[in-house]
Amino acid sequence: MSAHSEPIALPATRRRLLPALREWTEREEVFSLLMILPPMAFLIALVGYPFVYGIWLSLENRPVAQPGTFIGLGNFITDFHDPTFWQVVQNTFVYTGVATVLKMVGGLGLALVMNQAFRMKNLVRAVLLLPFIVPTVLSTIAWMWILDPSFSVINWLLVHGGIADRGPSWLGNGSWAMFSLIVVNTWRGLPFYAITLLAGLQTIPLELYEAATIDGAGALDRFRYVTLPLLKPVVFIVTMFSLIFTFSDFQLVYVLTRGGPANATHLFATYAFDIAMSGGQFGLGASVALAMLPPLALLIIALALYLRKA
Amino acid sequence: MTNAVHALPDNSRRQFLKATTFGVAGAALGVRPGVAAPKTMSIMHENSFIKTYDEYFQKTLIPAYEQLTGVKIKYELVSVGGLQTRVTTVAETGSGPDMTLNFFNWPFLYEEKYVDVGDVAEEVGKKSGGWHDAAKEAVIVNGKWKAIPFGNVGQLMNWRTDWFKEAGYDKFPDTWDELLEAGIKLNAKGHPFGFELGHGFGDNHGWLYPLLWSYGGREVEPDGKTVVIDSAETARAVDFARTFFQKTMLEDVLGWTDPNNNKAYLSGQISCTNNAESILWAAKRDFPEIAKATDQSLNPKGPGGQRFHILAPWSHSIFSHTPDQQAAKDFLRWLMEPAQVGGWYASADSYYAPFLHAFDDAPLWHVEPRNIPYRESLATSHLPGWPAPISRASSESVAKYVVVDMFAKACAGKSTKEVIADANTQLKQIYRPA
Repeated sequence: MSAHSEPIALPATRRRLLPALREWTEREEVFSLLMILPPMAFLIALVGYPFVYGIWLSLENRPVAQPGTFIGLGNFITDFHDPTFWQVVQNTFVYTGVATVLKMVGGLGLALVMNQAFRMKNLVRAVLLLPFIVPTVLSTIAWMWILDPSFSVINWLLVHGGIADRGPSWLGNGSWAMFSLIVVNTWRGLPFYAITLLAGLQTIPLELYEAATIDGAGALDRFRYVTLPLLKPVVFIVTMFSLIFTFSDFQLVYVLTRGGPANATHLFATYAFDIAMSGGQFGLGASVALAMLPPLALLIIALALYLRKA
Repeated sequence: MTNAVHALPDNSRRQFLKATTFGVAGAALGVRPGVAAPKTMSIMHENSFIKTYDEYFQKTLIPAYEQLTGVKIKYELVSVGGLQTRVTTVAETGSGPDMTLNFFNWPFLYEEKYVDVGDVAEEVGKKSGGWHDAAKEAVIVNGKWKAIPFGNVGQLMNWRTDWFKEAGYDKFPDTWDELLEAGIKLNAKGHPFGFELGHGFGDNHGWLYPLLWSYGGREVEPDGKTVVIDSAETARAVDFARTFFQKTMLEDVLGWTDPNNNKAYLSGQISCTNNAESILWAAKRDFPEIAKATDQSLNPKGPGGQRFHILAPWSHSIFSHTPDQQAAKDFLRWLMEPAQVGGWYASADSYYAPFLHAFDDAPLWHVEPRNIPYRESLATSHLPGWPAPISRASSESVAKYVVVDMFAKACAGKSTKEVIADANTQLKQIYRPA
């Protein structure tokens, strides 16, 4: 090849390559892969790796600041024989179950009210979101004062209103403490339900309501036969999210009771944290944290299946 | 203000004196000024409840050390309750600050990531009259000093002298039974007791472990293997706690965490609690009337005539990832010299009861004579898990609140047999052979 031909040959190759590359990247499967790669890498690094590491930790006897030794399912067997672990399981189910139902019913009610036309509707909707916007730790500290054994404003009202000699021990009695946590969780989670359901409500065409009214349906019937069936997918999605958040709740319990009194409010996340951080047992802590995975996964799968069937 | 340094009137003279004192002390110590030492080193601490304590380090000790050696110390403050998470991260990643403050049994927990500081500890001890035995219990791991002891944040009985007097008591009851008797009388007069039974960090352990020990109950034998919680002694302690709770306290205490008893005491709702010096400290600052009528006493004796206290030690360690460990040791050696550490202790009165015998009769104890029992309590103070040596198992037991919840469940109404059986099952799991 002559010396003159080289400079001509290179741009020619480039000219051939560039369109080929462009064409290749514009193919749908390649383009979507390229688009999905950064979030995938992000998820693998920040969710996937810790998750797999968590599984690995749970199979090890791994004291803090020391190398671990593989012990198979040893930690899970220890959990199985730990009475507190079973109490934690029970607490988590009660807490999640009751709070989720309350949030669902309350959220639906709120969404229905917000869907009506009234004055200052937008302002009220914005205010409604407040519990969700305020950082949990901050709002929980406010609740700490509301439920404080010595300075509870509720008890002050009860006593000064002549209703009780002294109010309940909101955080001192095991049952009341669980009740209080459920109330606070419901308060915090309600806006999430309400706003999501409100968005769902607004997608229901008005014509359907008009048609139902013409067919003689009352308000209750319209709700039962029009609103509810069309809202069902949104309710399931929002419930799924709520289940995950409530099941793995940490901040609220940690600030209000730290799992007390006598473990009556310990949840998976708080118990796992205490064992791993205060107790310095990473492996055992990871096993408690991971133990919440199977029941949570089952719940989610059941919901997803139901949704697909519906 | 209580410490001598702050009492000096002339600012410049004060600085001159300080610089001279530290200079002489440093020279006597043999600190190696300018010998290839790093330019900066850092030490982690948790925000102290006492502001002057952190200020003394930042405004007095750091400049003095920099002047002496050219090394600037960074004092990294972590918010209350956050230090252990931070230490865990630093120990696990092997990067970050060079030194840290420890609480409780951390020298044991992070043992592999801490430098053996035996040479410094022995030297400091020799120069300052030796260490209290309690200090050694908290920092010597497998025969090696993994931290330099600093001080103990003791937990004692805080009580209202005026109300106790009304009920016929001029001095604090000597035994748990007498305290129960007093509590019944005070409760009848509308002044209940308030002892934390919830999941706090310290005020629950502060009285429940000593109560168990003074009744002869133990979690585990000194071998650190044989669980002995299921005993007649434990049962007596549990029965006592239930009666004590039912007859002298409100149900709220079951849900209390550490700040609750301080608040209840300072708002005049309770007549007695178990706490560190912080109640009296805060009362003197904000509630002088309550402060006047407050005293502090040793924990009561059990049926065997013995009294116990919880050990809540503070100590300092050097991370093994520190590039110049010798420089860190030099700093800690300098810090623990009487001139420096004495001023630092004094900046908090006696809140951090010195572990060095040279300070047994230091002026800091005479600033507030009502604090003297905190010094006396050192001889009978132990870490949770005692008489077994500190171990991972004892940490796990504390993290799972085994002893605290054994008492709390009994107070909430469960039978003694049941709560001891629960604790026994848990402890056998925890102290399982490796």
